[in-house]
Amino acid sequence: MRVLVLYAHPNPESYAAALHRAALEALRRAGHEVDDCDLYAEGFDPVLSREERLAYHEVPRNRAPVADYVRRLEAAEALVLMFPVWNFGFPAILKGFLDRVFLPGVSFRIEDGLARPNLRHVKRLVAVTTYGAPRWRAFLMGDPPRKVVTRMLRVLAAPGARCRYLALHDMNRQTQGEREAFLAEVERTMGRL
Amino acid sequence: MRVLVVYAHPCGESFCAAIRDRTLATLAEAGHEVCLLDLYAMGFDPVLSAGERRGYHTPGENERPVAEHLAHLRWCEALVFVYPTWWYGQPAMLKGWLDRVWVPHATFRMPEPGKPIARVMTNIRVVGAVSTLGSPRWWWWVMGVPGRRVLLTGISVLCAPGCRTFWFAHHRMDSSTPQSRAAFLDRLRRRLPAALR
Repeated sequence: MRVLVLYAHPNPESYAAALHRAALEALRRAGHEVDDCDLYAEGFDPVLSREERLAYHEVPRNRAPVADYVRRLEAAEALVLMFPVWNFGFPAILKGFLDRVFLPGVSFRIEDGLARPNLRHVKRLVAVTTYGAPRWRAFLMGDPPRKVVTRMLRVLAAPGARCRYLALHDMNRQTQGEREAFLAEVERTMGRL
Repeated sequence: MRVLVVYAHPCGESFCAAIRDRTLATLAEAGHEVCLLDLYAMGFDPVLSAGERRGYHTPGENERPVAEHLAHLRWCEALVFVYPTWWYGQPAMLKGWLDRVWVPHATFRMPEPGKPIARVMTNIRVVGAVSTLGSPRWWWWVMGVPGRRVLLTGISVLCAPGCRTFWFAHHRMDSSTPQSRAAFLDRLRRRLPAALR
C-alpha cells in the first residue's frame, strides 16, 4: 500500500521523532511503499498566502503553488499523521498543510453548492499523537484534535475507511516504560496496517 | 476595558476584514481601549522552531522570541479573535500564534502531581471569537466544534477564574449574500458591547 506519512515535530531528539522512526521502519518492514513527508525538515510553509486565497476555488489552477504536495497526497492509499498535540490542536505546520494542500478539487469538490468528499483513494487513516493533558481532561475539553481526525478526515476519505487514533496522554508524567509500551503499540499498528 | 484583537486573514478586501473593522469600531464606540494584532500584516511566523521547542520550558528564555506579544497579553483584559474557520480550526497563522506565544510560566504553570494546569493570565476576564465558516451550523456541531473549543475552553482556562466567553459566527459562507453579511455585521454591533460589559 502507498502510505503518506505527515510528520510534524521540529526536534530529532524528541519522543515524537522516535515514534516517527519506529513507524517508518515498521511500515517498510511490512512491505508498504512509504512517502515520508517530514514537514519541518522539508521547510513546509504553512501560511496560506493572499494569492492562494484569491485563487482558492479555481480548480485546477489553485494547486499550482503546492503541486508536488498535492501529487503526494493524491497518490496515498493510507494517510498517517504524526504530531504532538499543542493547545488542543495540530502544530501550525500541520494545520497549514490542511489549509494549503487540502484544496477544492483535491480533498473535496463543490457540487450544487455542497462540499463532497474527494479523498476516496485513502482507505486507511492513522493518527499517532501525544498530549500534555490527561485523557479525562482532553475528553472534558471535547478533544478537538481527535474529532478533526476521526470525524472530519474520516468523512473526506473512502467510505468505510478504517481509522485508528493512537494517543499517549499526560506526557509530562509518563514513565520510560509507558513510553516504550506506546512505541511498541505504534509499531504493531503500522505493521498490521 | 483594554481589548486585544487578534486578527488573521490574508486579504484586505475579505469579509473577515469587514468584521475586523466593525469589531474595532464597535469596541471604540463602547469606550474600550483597543489594540489590534494583524498577524498577516506583521508577517508573524507561526512555526515553532527547534530552538524554541528546546527552550520551551525554560522561564525567561521561552519569552524572548515573543516578548512583544506577551506584553500585549499582559496588558489586555479582554481577548477577541477574528478569523476565518478553515478545516474546523484556526488558520495556521493563528494556530501558530497560540503555539509560540502561550508559553509555560508566562501564561500558565505546568501541572503538579494531583493538580491541574495553573492559570497565570488572570488579567484576562473575557475571551471571545468572531469567525466565518463554510459549513452549516448543525454540521459544525456534528464535527464537534473543534476550533471553538480550542479558544473558548482551552485558552479561557488559562485566564481569570470565571472568565466569560463569546462566539459569533456567520455560517454557510459559500452561499452568503450581501444581505446575510450585512445582517451579521449589524448583529455584531448590537451584541458585542454586551459580551464585553
